[in-house]
Parts: sequence; C-alpha cells; structure tokens
Amino acid sequence: MIVEGRILAIPRPNIDTDQIIPAHYLTSIDEAGMGQFCMSGMPDGPEQLARVPDAAILVAGENFGCGSSREHAAWALRDRGFRAIVAPSFARIFLENAYNNALVPIAIDPGALATFAAAVRGTIDVDNETIRLDGGEPIRFELDPLRKAFIVGGGFLPYLASKIETVRRWEAAWHR
Amino acid sequence: MNRSLFDKVWDDHVVEQLAGGNSLVFMDLVVAHEITTPQGAIAIEKDFGDRLYDKRRIVAMNDHVSPAKDTATAIQAQVVRNWAKRQGITLHDIGDNGICHVMVPERGYVTPGMTVCCGDSHTCTLGALGAFALGIGTTAQAGAMLAGCLILQRPKVMRVEVTGKLPGDATAKDLALAVIATIGFRGGTGYVLEYTGTAIRALTMEERMTLCNMAIESGATSGIIASDETTLAYIAATPLAPEVRQSERADPDAVYDATVTIDGSAIRPTVSWGINPGESAPIDGTVPADAAPASLAYMDLQPGQALAGIALDQAFIGSCTNARISDLRAAAAVMRGHKVSVPTIVTPGSQAVRRQAEREGLHDIFQDAGALWTHSSCGPCLGMSMGVLAPGARCISSTNRNFPGRMGAGGRVHLASPVVVAASAILGRIGSPAEIDIRQAVSA
Repeated sequence: MIVEGRILAIPRPNIDTDQIIPAHYLTSIDEAGMGQFCMSGMPDGPEQLARVPDAAILVAGENFGCGSSREHAAWALRDRGFRAIVAPSFARIFLENAYNNALVPIAIDPGALATFAAAVRGTIDVDNETIRLDGGEPIRFELDPLRKAFIVGGGFLPYLASKIETVRRWEAAWHR
Repeated sequence: MNRSLFDKVWDDHVVEQLAGGNSLVFMDLVVAHEITTPQGAIAIEKDFGDRLYDKRRIVAMNDHVSPAKDTATAIQAQVVRNWAKRQGITLHDIGDNGICHVMVPERGYVTPGMTVCCGDSHTCTLGALGAFALGIGTTAQAGAMLAGCLILQRPKVMRVEVTGKLPGDATAKDLALAVIATIGFRGGTGYVLEYTGTAIRALTMEERMTLCNMAIESGATSGIIASDETTLAYIAATPLAPEVRQSERADPDAVYDATVTIDGSAIRPTVSWGINPGESAPIDGTVPADAAPASLAYMDLQPGQALAGIALDQAFIGSCTNARISDLRAAAAVMRGHKVSVPTIVTPGSQAVRRQAEREGLHDIFQDAGALWTHSSCGPCLGMSMGVLAPGARCISSTNRNFPGRMGAGGRVHLASPVVVAASAILGRIGSPAEIDIRQAVSA
C-alpha cells in the first residue's frame, strides 16, 4: 500500500482533538462530512489548511491528538483528505483511532521534524514502513504490526469478532 | 511477587497475547454515551446483527447534552435510547442521569479490580476505585461491546507517591494540577499512574476521583488507587451496593517503570494560566518568565503577571472533575452570603448530586449569590451547551481542559478548584477563598 501526496506542516506541539474538531461538531451520528470542520478549533486552522488544500500528509509537532477521545478527529482528518500523520509522538487514544481509520501514524525522531516540515511531497510505503521526502532516500519508521493490518485491509471489528469464542472460553474458565 | 496494583488488574484480564506486543484485554464494563456510541452501535448492528458480547456488561446513558439542545443532539439521544431498548441494555436517561464519570461510580457500577472502558477520555476517573478504567475511540468501544475486549499495548506503570498531608487550603484539584506540572503535560504518555502515599490515603473517594480524572491530562492511559476502607465504605453506600470481590494492592517490593515523589504538604491552591493543564502555578504566583509565546498570546497574558487579579468574564463550577456533592458543599461555603460579580453557572455532576444539593439547600446559596443553578450536564466544559464562551471571554472553571477553544471558539479558560472558582466569581477576578469572608460553614 502506497500513500503519496503533498505535505502540510503545522509543526507545533499539542494539537489536541478539540482543535482538530470542536465539540459542537460532535452532534452528528454520521462519520461522513466532518472534513469541512477539520482544524476549525485551531485559532488559525482554516488558514493553515488553505496553504496546501490538497495535502494528504500532515506533519505536526509532539503529542498530536491529545485530549478528548473523540474519533471524530480521525474522521475529520480522513474526510479532509489526509491519509497519514507524521509527528514526533501521538496521544494514545488518537493513535488507536488513526489505525482504525486508515490514517498512517508515522512517529519520527523529534530532531527530524524540521526536515519533514520543509518537504513538499511524501511517498509512504506502508508495507515496508518507509517514507521518501521529495524523491529522496527512504526513511524508516515503525508501525504496530497487528494494527498495520487494519490500515491496509480494514477489518478491526471482524478481527475482534473472530476472537469471541476464545473470549467466552476464557471467561468461563475464570468464572468471572 | 513484585507486581504493582496495575499489573495485577491487567494480568487478571489478559485473554490472549497478540502480535506486536498487543494483548486482548477483557472489559468487565463498557460505558456508552450519546456522543461517541451511535456510530459504533450502528456499525455493529449493520455488520454483526444483535451480537453483543454481554449486554449485562454495558451501561448506556444520555449525559453530554441531556435534555437535547437541538435536533442533532435529540437524534443522538434517540439512537442511544432506541438501541438500548432494542438490545436490553440498562439505560440512564433524562431525569435519571448524570455525567457518566460521576454517575457510574455513584450508582455502584464499579468495584476494585474491574476493567472499564468508555468512548470518553475522562474514564480514567474510575481508577479512583481501584479499577483499570480507560478512554477509547468509538471503534474500539464497538469492539468491546462486540467481543468483550480491547486490543491494548501494555502500559508502563509510574508510581506517583504523594507524601505528607495536603494543607487545609489545598484541594484534590490542586494536587491533580501539581502532578501534571511535575511529570509534564505529555509526561504520562504510555503510563498508568499508580497513586500512593499518605496524602492519597487521606483523600475521600470524591477527591480521589478528581485526582484520577486528570490523569489523562498528562497523557496517561489511566490513574489507579488501591482500594481501602474509604473505597469499601463508598461502594457499600451506593444504590447497587455490589459485593466487592477483589481488593488488591501493590506488592511491597513492586517494580515500577518510573517513580515520582511529590510533597503533599507543599501543594498550594493552583490555577492554570496557559493553554494546557500543565501550564499552571500557585494562585499567589505569576505567569512564568519562560512561558510559551503561543500560550501567552492566546491567553492575552504577560510573563511575570500576577495570577490573582486577572479580570474574569465568567465562572463555571461543574464537570466530571469537580461537580460532586463535596465540591458543591465547598463552593457553597465560600459563596454563602456573598454576591457573584461575573456570570456564574453551577452545574451538578448528576441528577443524584443535584437532588442531594437541594436537600441541603446549596441551590439556594448559589442562587442567592446570583449564580445560575442548572440541571446536570457536561455543559460548557467542552463548549457544548449552557454557557459556551464568547471569543476572548475569560472564564475560571472547575473543569479539566484549558485548550484553545475548548469552552467556545476564542474563549480563555483558567482551571482551578471549586473553592477558587467560587471566590473568584465573587471577586470578579482570579482570587482565593482566603480573600473572602466566609460567613458560616454549610452543614452537611
């Protein structure tokens, strides 16, 4: 699986999920259509997005996606056209949500952030866990080997469904 | 053995080891509310029919905007209501509800040693009862309802020992802010915080919930406190009064991945000045000289500026952090006989808290002071309803997040304890209860 496209860099730390999608847009029961509100909680969010309207890769600072558990943040980013997020670190819940919504979470060395932020295009080879910036040499990153399958082929819920009998046997054995 | 309390709860719930260091972890309870449940509930019914793992292990509620404020929120509540009825899931709805993290323990759904998840980051609150409780996304919650389990990477464990005794004017909220300031706004990421020490043991159950509620604000997966007499007495007094089957503690020689020691006697009344909960200082202190420019610009503050004296536009007492009965008693004791100087909203954490407060006359104290007394809701804490801030408006709030726009686009939030919020509401500026003539203690 290859993800390729333009890079938008907002290399500031602690971009929380309230900034990615404010709570007053959480009132829909539909995942679709949230892209129009993406980054609308960031004081200069719309201007930032307008710099690279067709960006597929977002480069951000440390602790991306901190705060609220709202999966709406992942839905909004995905619906806005993003396919990968590059950051020195991610908040745990956002990281799980990213995998479940085929947003490739690429954790990089904090010292490399400036290099990524200066790049124009990225080419991500998800299977081989590499990213090339502007046609340069491949840079390695690491994905969770189990959750990577959910990015490539979806199937988080079917995977868990396949475990139900195992769980029932475990629970019966433990007399919980 | 040398296991932490968290290790024991975790080990008791691992069904299977999975690839890449992941574990399949059994969930004793899934809490479902109207903001994050509908998409997952619909997805399960669409693809898997009515196959829920165990409906008895799910408790549903409408809590964030209840009653609904508009058509969209009415539809969310309707989806949860109809789904719960269709599936035979226990539902707490209008008139019988409350903020999930207040209501779920108050009713007696949580006991020590349990695992609990909810599509809500402040689920870590329930760690106060010795449970492993964590926030998750909608898809993960759907998985937990479908298969009874989450897929998790095992968190590391940080021992957070709070020694000594909190001073009389310091609260659990001040301790929570101090913990975040000590380990850093991102410092808990990848960890569960296991709180221990004499100052923790001395906390009431409600104070422990305030502390654990803000574990997520350091990035931590959760917080956890070993159960003791305080825990057991709290659970015994709940309506469900469940049997407590387990009350593990850490082994004396437990091994931790990290250890932090905080002097409880040094905790001061604290207020946030910046745009994340790690940016806080004692109320008699100043904005730090090295404060981040982005934080100063958003909050319209100067380095070195005194925190006490910052003029306010609004005050809010509420949220899963600080809207339990003890919080309202403490705030009422400060407000009694005074008038607020800025619009002030007091929102109880649950319908049960509201009724208890009214039995004690606290609602009269707040309303006599000129504050608005509302029904239970998440309300303006997340900029959802009932007190959303105007751009540039500055609010002192007993809530948990001061992110840009959290309580309304362009709104500025100062986090503090309910007593500091009450005092500041009276003063019209950030100030401490020490500045208020407290007329008469409110009897419990």
